[in-house]
Amino acid sequence: MAVRALGILSAVGLLVGLVMAFGVAPRETTQGNVQRIMYVHPPLAWVSYLAFVVVAVASVAYLVRRRPAADRVAHASAEVGVVFTGLAIATGSIWGKPTWGTWWTWDARLTSVAILFVMYLGYLLLRGTVEDRERAARYCAVLGIVAALDMPLVHFSVYWWRTLHQPPSLMKPGGFTGSSAILWPLLVNVGAFTVLYAYLLAKRVRLLRAEAEEAFA
Amino acid sequence: MPDNWGFVAAAYVITAVVLGVYWARLVRREKALAHRKPGRTRS
Repeated sequence: MAVRALGILSAVGLLVGLVMAFGVAPRETTQGNVQRIMYVHPPLAWVSYLAFVVVAVASVAYLVRRRPAADRVAHASAEVGVVFTGLAIATGSIWGKPTWGTWWTWDARLTSVAILFVMYLGYLLLRGTVEDRERAARYCAVLGIVAALDMPLVHFSVYWWRTLHQPPSLMKPGGFTGSSAILWPLLVNVGAFTVLYAYLLAKRVRLLRAEAEEAFA
Repeated sequence: MPDNWGFVAAAYVITAVVLGVYWARLVRREKALAHRKPGRTRS
């Protein structure tokens, strides 16, 4: 019931976010309407961070307590995180072509995100290759913690190196500096994508639990 | 700068399609599991 409520809430949130992105947010003066990709790309990137932080926290919890539930949360969050990271890379690339003149460049932000994506893909592959469930959970917990170390590198890469990628819109010292007409649609979309993440995570955890129950039945 | 609506549409459509396909995959697997073991999964 709670999962269904999350699903309905995320659908409504995404719909409101879409209306705000195209109906409320103004046309940006420098980039034109292509800047409307901002209402989907940073929310996807934010959820990627969130998902992999959840993986790291659940992985630590698993290594400490050895509860299968913590492992299921880590597994589910990694899978959802990979989907969102892939989309963040794709939408960033689509935004990059008209604004930077290229689909891809090996600058620090894009490269560190690509490494993050590949590491969590490896995490999911590792789960599939180790047959013993307990051993797979232990290996993945370690990898889930190690891979999370790339996240500060991703976030601060725009400050530490000269990159084509702009600094963060929201998660920066001093907060958002643009107009409220841009801020609110962005915040609504960040909220909607966060609820969507919670919904997909809950759904995936429930499925993993059901699969485990079936395997042990 | 031109508006590049095609790029905007591509970003939103790709996001909607990928998330929709992933969600549908979860629903399908849940249904298949519930079908194999009636009463074992809660909705």
